[in-house]
Amino acid sequence: MGLTSSELPFIVDLIATLSKIVVVFLIGLNVPPIMLWVERRVPALMQRRRGPNRVGFFKWRLWGLFQAVADAIKLIFKEEAVPAMANKWFFHLGPVFSVFPAFLVLSAMPFGEYIEVMGYQISLVAVQVNVGFLFILAMAGMAIYGVALSGWASTSKYTLLGALRASAQMISYEIPLGLSLIPIALVYNSLDLTEIVKGQSHFWQWGIFLSPLSFIIFLVCMFAETNRTPFDLAEAESELVVGFHTEYGSTKFAAFFLGEYVSMFALSLLCSILFFGGWHLPLLSRENLINLTGSVNLAALVGVGVLFLKAAFFMFLYVWVRWTVPRFRYDQLMKLGWKFLLPLGLANIAVTAGILALNF
Amino acid sequence: MNPYLPIIIILGLGVALGLILSGFAHFLGPRHPTPAKEEIFECGVPTVASRERMSVKFYLTAILFILFDIETVFLFLWAKAFRSLAWFGIVEVAVFVLILVAGYLYVLKTGALEWD
Amino acid sequence: MSDQLVFWGLAGFITLSSVAVVTVRNPVTAAVALVINLFLLAGVYAFQGADFVAAIQIIVYTGAIVVLFLFVIMILNLDPEHLRSPRPRIWEHLVLGVVIAGFAYIGYRFLDSLDVGKVASNRLPDNTYDVAMILFSNYLWPFEIVSILILLAIVGSVAIAKKPK
Repeated sequence: MGLTSSELPFIVDLIATLSKIVVVFLIGLNVPPIMLWVERRVPALMQRRRGPNRVGFFKWRLWGLFQAVADAIKLIFKEEAVPAMANKWFFHLGPVFSVFPAFLVLSAMPFGEYIEVMGYQISLVAVQVNVGFLFILAMAGMAIYGVALSGWASTSKYTLLGALRASAQMISYEIPLGLSLIPIALVYNSLDLTEIVKGQSHFWQWGIFLSPLSFIIFLVCMFAETNRTPFDLAEAESELVVGFHTEYGSTKFAAFFLGEYVSMFALSLLCSILFFGGWHLPLLSRENLINLTGSVNLAALVGVGVLFLKAAFFMFLYVWVRWTVPRFRYDQLMKLGWKFLLPLGLANIAVTAGILALNF
Repeated sequence: MNPYLPIIIILGLGVALGLILSGFAHFLGPRHPTPAKEEIFECGVPTVASRERMSVKFYLTAILFILFDIETVFLFLWAKAFRSLAWFGIVEVAVFVLILVAGYLYVLKTGALEWD
Repeated sequence: MSDQLVFWGLAGFITLSSVAVVTVRNPVTAAVALVINLFLLAGVYAFQGADFVAAIQIIVYTGAIVVLFLFVIMILNLDPEHLRSPRPRIWEHLVLGVVIAGFAYIGYRFLDSLDVGKVASNRLPDNTYDVAMILFSNYLWPFEIVSILILLAIVGSVAIAKKPK
């Protein structure tokens, strides 16, 4: 997808790429355990109770962080009950379609401009695509198959209905998602994520100021695409049991879980990159930072920290919204997507194009 | 180096990760299948193995999704060449979008997007 | 050398998955084989330097059209026994083999050469921009016709799927 071949010698390129891939996977695999903890402690604190804080080593409780380890061990060794009539192949393959698109989206996110190792400039993105936005939309499309095939494979009427509803929801919100990204592409004149962050080096150039409506639409679609409250009707506990993954136990369930959290994190990163300046600090420009710390690498490290902090805020927002806002009914959800967000997205594009056209 | 290598590697690793997780469940858990466990979960009600038809609204949603997705793709293309095309491009794309908006209004008017 | 390997490797798998789409008995398996097929085809486009086309191949074809097929299969929700077509007979296999061989022969006769490296090496750096410029200047009229076609599709699908009042 429009990958620019780098000018690095082959062996350096290979080592750099492989290490970047390892980093992406490490980050991806570490997000769900942390989120597991956040998802239980934060609502507990919001609801004035304690949350899990018992699991620990030698009286070292660590505020319940070990709970995640205990959960993981339990999940791995649980028995997997496969429904008798289930389609064996798709039942086992379903979770795979939920996992790989999430990691591909995560790998397309830039963490910084570049670092300098041994005189070579190494870009901080695992997969460098010129058509960054389109790549992300493509992977969002692939994630639908995880939901649809898993629900179908369980051959239960209710999981099938849950799968259809969840898939219909995901595709309905993919269009406003795409439409909200277009004004960003218009304003920053690029589809490449690194270029877009570079265009946000000053505080007043951040995406949220240059295209606030896009941010709102994108935020709503972010929640809808990952099937999170208030859009989680398809997996709500009071509805169709757990919807499309009712019949999935132990680590297959963990696979869906992993896919969901990794895509949440990738979208949080995307939100920070597009609207909040990515790795730029609000008042300290990158050149000043480099001069201050005297090293490009240190500046890049600070940038990565800033980016993750912003993404962490959006992850917290996911949890916060989940425990604050009631669920949408399914028809309200579809109405919001098709009748409100779609025209809003188109109007947004028209207004943005009009304003930019005044500068011709 | 082949520039598409990272995508292929990550794709392979992602699929492998998914398969490994599925495999954990399959191979590491105890396996004592009983009829009760193998049944589909329907909150205690005995399973009626009926195969009802699902609503046709899903079909309509999917088709409308395809059509508006195509529109979105063309808009991305326009966004890339926006500055070079200036007013000429804006007018072209405006005609394109307006025709589709007419279609959208038709859909709204005939109530095809009503969900009960 | 690696260009050849990549292309012919992809082409082989594309052929295999296409054959799978038509011969497999379970329709959902056929749909998944189609997904793999289109994904690999996008890989071929990307390899030739047409990155934009590769991206929209995945977005529109794999991510929308096959999803529609899958929805229809899931909506119709037939009995498992009815889903399977009868085992293909020997003569059906033979016909398939002959058809594939025929297409391969036609392809061979019309190709200039079997060297795919020539096309791949002419990759231009920014495919999306070039496509956009050409589309909106030389191919303006087809572009507007596309919008009319989409409008027709919208009206047609609503006509099919709406319940008569």
